Amino acid sequence: MTEKFQDHQIRDILKINYKYTMGGQSKFFIEVMKNKKLFGTKCTKCGKTWMPPRINCSDCYEPADWVELNQAGTINVSTIVWYTTSAFIKAVPYGIGFIKLDGAETSLLQGIFSENLVPSKIKKGKRVKAVFNKEREGKMTDFFFVPEDEYENWISKPEYEGGV
Amino acid sequence: MSKPKVAIIGVGITPFKARYLDKTYFELAYDATKLAIEDTNKNGANITHKDLESTVYGIYNELFERQFMPDIFINSYIGMNNKPGTRIAAGGATGGYTVRMAYSEVASGLSDLCLCLGVEKCNDCYDEQTGVTTPEVLNAIAYSADMTYEYPMGMMAASSYVSMVNAHYEEFGNPTEEQMAHVSVKNHGNAMLNPKAQSPMEVTVEDVMNSRIICYPFKLLDCCLYSEASAALILASEEKVKELKIEKPIWITGVGAANTDCFIGNREDMGRLYSNIYAAKAAYKMAELDYNKIKNQIDLAELHDAFSGQEVISYEELGFVPFGEGGSWIERTFEKSGEGPWLDGELPCCPSGGLIGCGHAVGATGIMSTGEAVLQLREEAGKHQVPIEKGRAISHSIGGPGAAYAAVIVMANKEGLK
Repeated sequence: MTEKFQDHQIRDILKINYKYTMGGQSKFFIEVMKNKKLFGTKCTKCGKTWMPPRINCSDCYEPADWVELNQAGTINVSTIVWYTTSAFIKAVPYGIGFIKLDGAETSLLQGIFSENLVPSKIKKGKRVKAVFNKEREGKMTDFFFVPEDEYENWISKPEYEGGV
Repeated sequence: MSKPKVAIIGVGITPFKARYLDKTYFELAYDATKLAIEDTNKNGANITHKDLESTVYGIYNELFERQFMPDIFINSYIGMNNKPGTRIAAGGATGGYTVRMAYSEVASGLSDLCLCLGVEKCNDCYDEQTGVTTPEVLNAIAYSADMTYEYPMGMMAASSYVSMVNAHYEEFGNPTEEQMAHVSVKNHGNAMLNPKAQSPMEVTVEDVMNSRIICYPFKLLDCCLYSEASAALILASEEKVKELKIEKPIWITGVGAANTDCFIGNREDMGRLYSNIYAAKAAYKMAELDYNKIKNQIDLAELHDAFSGQEVISYEELGFVPFGEGGSWIERTFEKSGEGPWLDGELPCCPSGGLIGCGHAVGATGIMSTGEAVLQLREEAGKHQVPIEKGRAISHSIGGPGAAYAAVIVMANKEGLK
């Protein structure tokens, strides 16, 4: 081909609406929404506690029962995000981390909010507590974690409250 | 029963570029296929696409291609109608997994001549808010995180990998930010010798340390850039290699893959990419190599360095150095010829420039790195050719949520070389 190349670009968007069921995990989201409680599951055979919850133990192939977990835990690992996806770019910088709730064996990924968001404040071993939105929809974004020493400040804000 | 022998007889790699305005994903796939056929013919054969019996496609992300089942549209465009084609998708490890499945296609006897074809074209994604592509590309990737528990938290590729790197640092005091920066210096530098690379750059440790923060402690120059490209390999059975009179077949002697728990928080130690360890051990076992001596048994490793810190951990998990020593291995060997993972080192890692140097065209990446290892073993890699003495190389792919998928391929340039 000898003709000079000229490109042509088309604007488009892919969009699908959902109303998806959380199936066997539904109780976790209902408890967050209605009761500000964090429920994990415990295997009826090996006793492993799963968080995020799963109603079947993937290790034993036996059922796992619901068990309420403490709302305080320890940061296992964390980071602060400064550049990110189009969905979150307006929120930077934000902290996220894997938190091992007291009584759980696995760690849950969650947002870690702090009035002083620096790596040392949210590093491994730091204690955190769950804070809930006053308006909840039964989603993971209904709650987040804050350093223990900031907890009272956070739950005194009008849009948030402490767990039960 | 002896294992069936499978060789890579042709390699086709398009340049890795930020943007191809003049090509769609299926046109890129066509280009790589054509290059691979031409390379096979330079290697002694006389084939056309009509001789290829099947295709295994490596394509990661439907959202990039703006097309579900993109493989069937490629299948039409590359003239492979009425033959079997199977698509593999395994996150960043798509390429390595695709090589594994193409190996299986031939080793099983289903095909004697199989096309292994990877492609990705991410930068058709576009973020209207910022007027650039990257945040929307990152969003299309972030849908790979668990959509209920992780995506809503702002999890994405860098924050996923950095979690494991930070946990590794907490456990071993390694890799430090400076040690990670050395990977960036090496891979951007190696890419200067690779004309197909997207990010050839002469950078210093200081440049890396001063580049903008992305996700603590990863800086911009610690991260690969997303890329558009295609890569293709042609795999043949032992009989076909003889029939086609291939001059330099490169034999696949080991394939290993493993999927570890995609929930990082479920892992016993969060500072591990367990999939690496299991995939490497499986591949070395099949190739009859020793995990503890592997550094002395291969000439080079094309690693999956999506992020600098992850390459350092891979040195340890693939058995090159003991746990906790990956960072010091690269840092203390800087500018010391014959040592470390540098281009002139004891085990050159990513002589092509890897993902940090070449870019990351996800489905194509692991096929490119396998193809690069093939060209090295044929001593036809060009300016970034490393000395071939042992006759063996590995390629490595890892990816997915929490780097859950990994695949390792071992290759040898002589038939029967274990």
